Amino acid sequence: MTNQRRDLDRVIAAIADRKVAIDLSSVDMCFLVALHLRAEGAGLTSFTEQQLEDVFAHASSLVRAEAEHVRRRATPAIQRLRDQRMLARVDGQGVVRTGEFALTRLATGIVEFFLEEDVLTRASLHVLIASLRSAITDVLGAARAATTPVQWRDGVVGPLQVSISELVAGIERRQRGLDVQQESFQGEIRRLLEADWFGALDRCQELLESTSATLHELNEVLLRDSTELLALLQDIEELAVAASAIEAENMAHRLMDQIDRSVAWGSARQRSWSEYFQYVHRYLRDVVRLDPTRALTQRLRDQMAGEGAKFALTYTSAAPIRILRTVAPSRDLPPVTRPRTAREKEPVLGPTENPQAVLTAKVRGLLDAGANTLSTVTAQVTAELEASERFVEAGRIAYTVAQVAHVTVKIERPWVAVGDDMEVEEWDTRGSREDKP
Amino acid sequence: MTAPKYAELQDVVLDPSFPDLDTALRRGRHIDRDDFVSYTLLTEAQDHLETFYRRYGCELIFKADGYFYLLPTGDKLPRRQLSPGDMLVGQALALLFLDPSTIERGGRVTTEDVVAQLAVVLSGDALIRAFYTTKRRFDERVAQKAVRTKVADGIRHLAALGFVELSDDAKIVLRAPLMRFAEPVRGVGQPAAALAKLVADGEVAMVTEDEPLAAEHDEVAPRENDAEPEAEPEAEPEAQAEPEAEPEAEPEAEPTEEDW
Repeated sequence: MTNQRRDLDRVIAAIADRKVAIDLSSVDMCFLVALHLRAEGAGLTSFTEQQLEDVFAHASSLVRAEAEHVRRRATPAIQRLRDQRMLARVDGQGVVRTGEFALTRLATGIVEFFLEEDVLTRASLHVLIASLRSAITDVLGAARAATTPVQWRDGVVGPLQVSISELVAGIERRQRGLDVQQESFQGEIRRLLEADWFGALDRCQELLESTSATLHELNEVLLRDSTELLALLQDIEELAVAASAIEAENMAHRLMDQIDRSVAWGSARQRSWSEYFQYVHRYLRDVVRLDPTRALTQRLRDQMAGEGAKFALTYTSAAPIRILRTVAPSRDLPPVTRPRTAREKEPVLGPTENPQAVLTAKVRGLLDAGANTLSTVTAQVTAELEASERFVEAGRIAYTVAQVAHVTVKIERPWVAVGDDMEVEEWDTRGSREDKP
Repeated sequence: MTAPKYAELQDVVLDPSFPDLDTALRRGRHIDRDDFVSYTLLTEAQDHLETFYRRYGCELIFKADGYFYLLPTGDKLPRRQLSPGDMLVGQALALLFLDPSTIERGGRVTTEDVVAQLAVVLSGDALIRAFYTTKRRFDERVAQKAVRTKVADGIRHLAALGFVELSDDAKIVLRAPLMRFAEPVRGVGQPAAALAKLVADGEVAMVTEDEPLAAEHDEVAPRENDAEPEAEPEAEPEAQAEPEAEPEAEPEAEPTEEDW
């Protein structure tokens, strides 16, 4: 499981644990919208309880004119919004006096979504891209001049994170607005045809043409200008890499991804709209124009319901050409035979090595080189051995030293450490004995 | 004025996309603008191909709605008719094609939409009689499931013939050839007269009243020299009316590698 997946699971588990839910009726929504607009219009930062009730009464009278006890219904409505974190009390006075309430960020977001009229147009895209180009150019200048981490943070990371991200997000938000607008166009074409079959033809054509032209223009602008923006961001990224400014590098990279996404959006929408355009265009030409009174649908329905004789369409039905599979002759397998070679090999003579002779030569070499204690010899001979072999080898070394060297031993033989895991009783040696081979 | 792309029939036959087009037409596929390569070849070589297929006893038909198909008029190529069940599915799809509500979805519908359309035009009982059984007593749940299965089978068969296209997201893309199902009622005259003309042209064949609606696709062309071994077993009328009892006879098996 990847880290990303684990994070996702953790976030979902946390949200589920908090039992987050939003349940807003259309009256609640209208209440929120009314509060938002009243706050904007009157420059209010918060509402008193009386103001909340007034706004609710007004919104409720518009939505459900026949409803009674409007004032009484205001209290649970306000509580509902508070429970769902749409309204927050901001005065902090508790029971001392009546409260002051303000819309939360969540409520403002929801209201703005429904009031949103930001749709990407050629003019808005031009303005956004020009601002973006200018801002990125400034940041590139700051990146070229930056020499310290503080300069990178204040001059590059900060603007990339705030102003430039906002501009790119502005383009994406308007793209989503255009998506919604397209969807509503598709619904409008249907409604126009349902309301006025033949009379809606021109209006439908107009809607199709205008949307196609808009998408084409937007796509052109996005394709043309995105190259320049990406090149500027690429320069910033390279400078950040050279200066080891990881945060700036990541930020530039993220913005490049965002711009790529916007360009991909343009291409995808134009492609899908083109398919839709062709389909509707054919529909208007082949169905609506050829059946101005819309009688065909009813006649076809009657035919299907069994009025008149039954018939079946004829079509050709040539069988596919059959090509027989090529048969490959089976290969003759050789008979099973016993191997003729001898199974056991004869022993052969090879060179042998006497380990005691090797050890003796090694010990003698060390004694000749000046080693004058048993511990020195033991340490040097066992230096390269595995821990498990060193203890066994130490006994052989003591035997060999006794054989090839003049050894003097004190009455109290001291224990001397050899390495970290072994001690030996110390002997002094005085050169190797010539009488022993 | 530009010179025609194909001076002779030989040029058409040598076109790399001709084998696919030829095979599709002979197997009853309808070619419309969405089959871009084949449609372009057909429009550019229409004169040559009309003569070519006439020699096989077929007419290459082009309809003003923007599609081509091969109509057998002789005995050289085998012909078939759509089963009554497929005809109903086709007409329901044609109704959806004409419905402005499908405009909103760019001409994409689901199998549920087709079943709903059938249920609107035919009553529930008629739907079950058409696709499942003519018996009076039946298990409603089993019958409804069988109807849905039969409708889905019909859609697949019509997709193989190019009336619709099955998209990757399990949607049915409606195509112009569906208007063939509305041919008898398209003119301003009497449908009976239009139907008689279509029968005379060989476009449609009449279905007798006592023919069970749930029958499989009928083979009507003479097959003196036709070596096709996949003749479908003639099921008993009772068995045809009871889909559970009838053998799973694939109306048109897709060509497999072995076939080719």
